[in-house]
Amino acid sequence: MSKYIVNIWQSVSTLLIGMGITIRHLIRIRKGNVTLQYPKEKWPQPQRKIGFDPKVYNIIRSKLHVDIDDCIGCLKCVRACPVDCITIETLKVPKGTDIGMTSNNTTKRLLVKRFDIDMSECLYCNLCVYPCPEECIYMTGGPNSEKKTIDYEFSKYDRSELLFTFAKITEKEIAELTAEPNELPHADEPGGEA
Amino acid sequence: MTVDALIRWFQSWTASGGNITFLLILSVILLALPVFLIMAVNALVAVYAERKLSAFMQDRVGPMGQGPGFHAGKWGIFQTVADAIKLLLKEDIIPEAADRKLFILAPYVMFLGAFIALAAVPFNQKLLVADMNIGIFYIVAVGSLSVLGILLAGWASNNKWSLYGAMRSAAQIVSYEIPAALSIIAVILLTGTLSMQGIVQSQAGVIWGFLPNWAVFNNPFTFLAFFIYFISSVAEVNRTPFDIPEAESELVAGFHTEYSGLRWAFFFLSEYANMLVVSAVAVVVFLGGWQSPIAGVMTSAWWGLFWFLGKVTIVILIMIWFRWTFPRLRVDQLMNVCWKVLLPIALLNIFGTGLWSLFIG
Repeated sequence: MSKYIVNIWQSVSTLLIGMGITIRHLIRIRKGNVTLQYPKEKWPQPQRKIGFDPKVYNIIRSKLHVDIDDCIGCLKCVRACPVDCITIETLKVPKGTDIGMTSNNTTKRLLVKRFDIDMSECLYCNLCVYPCPEECIYMTGGPNSEKKTIDYEFSKYDRSELLFTFAKITEKEIAELTAEPNELPHADEPGGEA
Repeated sequence: MTVDALIRWFQSWTASGGNITFLLILSVILLALPVFLIMAVNALVAVYAERKLSAFMQDRVGPMGQGPGFHAGKWGIFQTVADAIKLLLKEDIIPEAADRKLFILAPYVMFLGAFIALAAVPFNQKLLVADMNIGIFYIVAVGSLSVLGILLAGWASNNKWSLYGAMRSAAQIVSYEIPAALSIIAVILLTGTLSMQGIVQSQAGVIWGFLPNWAVFNNPFTFLAFFIYFISSVAEVNRTPFDIPEAESELVAGFHTEYSGLRWAFFFLSEYANMLVVSAVAVVVFLGGWQSPIAGVMTSAWWGLFWFLGKVTIVILIMIWFRWTFPRLRVDQLMNVCWKVLLPIALLNIFGTGLWSLFIG
């Protein structure tokens, strides 16, 4: 009989302890909670000094970026890509037509008509970055991060929005640059898809 | 405002007195609408309160999206409204192997139990649908209708989880009704009436010099009876820690596993309405109903409504507090608590209350 009463007493008192804990959490409502109302509130961006030198090691790979003015259309990144997420189409220009220089002082010989990167397929391996002779394709947030500020939030509402197009050249410019006075315009050369 | 009073009011408009059958139907419908409104509003507010309070108890923020300024609400105060609209728009699925008629019938049976129980709840001195002289007995009796609905739902779903949940629920509700009813009897010994208004009116005045003369303060036995009733009522409405009929981690969702859309909403509505009913009974029987906590102060009808709703809110909040504190009981523990602890104490309470009112009170 005494055990019966002790049992009841123990269960009641321990239940009260539990209720005390929950009411304490209820009273200091937003003190200890860590929920972030994400699109409206954001964590501060992390400091990049986490033991690696960002010039040497690519800590953050958030999105592929191309400096399209430096691209010579060599398709090395296309061949390096293990998942074929880069699509480039190039056009030959007639001899003598000047289409500019890259920032590494290489003469551009091909028009980059199309440069698409499908970030929904990209696996962030960074393999396309190394073969590029002009260092124009890179992961933002990586060694080239001083070229472009870091942005972590490349998430989109629709999968099709993850297809990033970099080529800026218009149809009119293509027509002007490929046209030769004594010849018919070149037929479009198919892009070298690896 | 009871049905009788409403019929008399209608009759005073016409010289001949009017067709009594028509007036009865009209009055019943007119009074049923506010009762349904109370149920719906109760569910909306209680679900919101439950989600917010549970979030705060677990150091979360709870629903924050829906509210003034769509999708940018400050506190998500329209979350349950959005939920209700979603439930209305959802597809209504009836399993192929289900017993179609019973499956459709079950939510309404459960809803009916809660709905007609609210008819005898006195919201203040005048506001109740039917002032029966057996009010409390009526509520205890029709409160058991919900177990019928749960059993129907579990059987008709043709699903193992549902049937398990329904069987557990039947065992649980039938068991816990006994200590609940016995603890109410302890108070009825004091008041000498089964009428809800009579029970509330008998709790007027002051006891022990300063406390309001509520049954819970009347003597040590009724004090204990209040807690027994409260625990049993939590078990009766299938809320945690007594939620084995719908135990998520064991039975998917228990008896309403196969229900979706509006039918599921009806289960939800009646669950929260049942909560309202048992809280109202606890308030009427033990906490003085619409009586003011300070005797003789603020006793008008509007204040009566305020006190009643305030007390009911506090009791519902304590139920929510229970739910987010305690883990679920095992089936055998559940039966132990009922038959070995609550029932003997409830019987002792009746005995003690009888002796108290004979020799002391």
